[in-house]
Amino acid sequence: MTVKALLRIVALLGAFGVVAGTLSCSRRGPEEGQLTICFAFQDLETEFWVAGHKAITETLREKGIRVLERNANQDANRQLEQVRDAIAQDVDGIIIIPQDGESAVTIVGEANRAGIPIAVFNRPPSDRSNPALVVVADNERIAEGAVTYMAKVAREKRQHRRRKPLIVVGDLGDRNAVARRRGFFNVIERSPDLFETPIEVPSKWDPATTLANLEAALQANPDVDFLFTSSDFLYPQIRAVLKPLGKWKRIGEPGHVILGGLDGDSTAYRLMEEGYVDATGVQDLFFEAHAIMDALLEAIRTGQRAPEEWIEDPGFALTQENMAERAQDMWGYQVLCKP
Amino acid sequence: MHSSDNVTARARLGRLMNALLRRVLLSDSFVLFLAVAYFLVLWVFVPRLGSARNLSNLSSNIWPLFVLVIGQMFVLIIGGIDLSQTSIMAIASVCGALLMTSGLDPALFARNPLWGVLISEQGGPLAGSVAAVPIGILAMLAIGALIGLANGVAVAKCRMPPFMVTLVSMFFFSGLAIFITRSENVTNLPAGFLAIGQSYIGHVPAGRSSVGLMPYSFFAGVALASIAWFVLGRTIAGRWFYAVGMNRRAAAVSGVPTDRVIVFAYTISGFCAALGSVLYSSRLGAGRPTLGANVLLDVIGAAVIGGISLYGGKGKVRWAFYGVLFFVVLDSSLYMLNLRFYTVNIVKGVVILMAALLDVLRNRARMDRTPTASMELA
Repeated sequence: MTVKALLRIVALLGAFGVVAGTLSCSRRGPEEGQLTICFAFQDLETEFWVAGHKAITETLREKGIRVLERNANQDANRQLEQVRDAIAQDVDGIIIIPQDGESAVTIVGEANRAGIPIAVFNRPPSDRSNPALVVVADNERIAEGAVTYMAKVAREKRQHRRRKPLIVVGDLGDRNAVARRRGFFNVIERSPDLFETPIEVPSKWDPATTLANLEAALQANPDVDFLFTSSDFLYPQIRAVLKPLGKWKRIGEPGHVILGGLDGDSTAYRLMEEGYVDATGVQDLFFEAHAIMDALLEAIRTGQRAPEEWIEDPGFALTQENMAERAQDMWGYQVLCKP
Repeated sequence: MHSSDNVTARARLGRLMNALLRRVLLSDSFVLFLAVAYFLVLWVFVPRLGSARNLSNLSSNIWPLFVLVIGQMFVLIIGGIDLSQTSIMAIASVCGALLMTSGLDPALFARNPLWGVLISEQGGPLAGSVAAVPIGILAMLAIGALIGLANGVAVAKCRMPPFMVTLVSMFFFSGLAIFITRSENVTNLPAGFLAIGQSYIGHVPAGRSSVGLMPYSFFAGVALASIAWFVLGRTIAGRWFYAVGMNRRAAAVSGVPTDRVIVFAYTISGFCAALGSVLYSSRLGAGRPTLGANVLLDVIGAAVIGGISLYGGKGKVRWAFYGVLFFVVLDSSLYMLNLRFYTVNIVKGVVILMAALLDVLRNRARMDRTPTASMELA
């Protein structure tokens, strides 16, 4: 009986192999002349990445391109192995959202050695030693724009004491996080009469870490009244911490914490509309997605094996002042309003 | 007369086939057969599975994981578990990298507690030295072995549950790795170190470029496996591991120095985790405070698939290898099949479950056949 059971399981495993193989051949094989692009992303944990993933995969498929999707679940080694697997499948091009700038350098190097053009979406390699197509927002300038508006509000509502600013810092292994932090400090350091030394709360781009660290920071510094988050996707955690402390107030209400962020997602749009958030830096997600796809397809068409181009998304700061005119340029607004 | 001969011949053939099948199913190498059969079946449908580049990828993916599984195997054999392997990888990775690095960005590291003390803009204390790589690697291995030793002492001498001890170690050293680097990856490592994870011996042409045949990590894996095989299979100490795993009390009564065996097993596990850290760090080109954060389930999954018992007393080096082989082939094949990313994990989970179920049934069948053969030695 036991041997029979073993045989059944072996047969089942074999059947799985046959079925999977057949499916793979019948449904997913590339047609003659059809381009295949591997899209390897580190995870889809924020609305920004979800929207970027959707824009890239849908557009490529609409163009008749076969897309191999690979999710590394925030594991740099796994992403490297996935990209190597894709190279073994002779893909025509690769788009990656790397776990961090350092792993991007290694992965780009793998693609360069295999002679496959590679594009890096939104999270740039930490150095330019290996050529790649890179699209990245001007995070420093965008952050500076949003924080400048927040500082203007602070100056208008000047109190008897200086403001206590706090920044929720991203994963500093990510150049974007470094640039956003720099943009914030550029503004704060220009106005020592207005601000005390800022408190930095590390988030590692992780909601649970943010919640714990922010709670601790506000316990130690209950007088924080100026808060900038390096990413909009952390607003739920910020609200969860501020609300019990009586600091989650609309603009104009007593005790309102001057609040801003960066990304431009739908949560930020809603919170701005409801009057909780003063400003947010907006990355032009759809521009970035289309620019990187166009550059990669052009490189494939012209036979470039290791193309190099850094495309910059200037972005903009959406504030309570310019919201009526510019909200429709915000990708979060577009995601929210599209059927 | 002829027809009765035919019937007898057919019956004999049937019995022979049955015996052969039973032999294969109950063989020590069953997981190897399964991995090879699985590979061959899929190869028919996905020819790229057997391409030079994919075989090179498989070879490169197997050895670092194998090194970790060998370490975990020692602990599993004595009936323990080592959850701290991942954090040992992380702390060894960043400590080794901080010693060897030849340059650090002040914007990222100026707030580091070691800035100005041990590290600076010019890198770590071994920056530029010819001895940077060997000393850096030795330091990494020593850190791993010391943490393993501490785990072993806590389990053996303080009689603390291994799960709890290694869980605490995991939290502590993961946190420490993040603390001493402030979450930053440490780059600018010496070329000699990077070569360990990124270089191969021998190349063959593949498409537009060439691929490596034998990664350097192969030699680390084979050397470690040989030592582990010798210790477990050819020494008295090796038998002590199994004895402790089967029944610690009985082993102690029989004169086995159980405490020392336990301490030794955890020390080996820590050492192997550090060696894995060397291979993974050099492969990724950086010391990473989050290195190995997701690898623990792969390690335990591969060990279980290979047939190493979670209850102790059972495990062999080649089983560990078969488990890793099956695991890596499965992983690669699922990507080659181009399943959607969310289905890959589901299918992987189902196949691992089936493999584990298969192992249980095989053991039961083996016990039915030879009720006294319950002790598995290497």
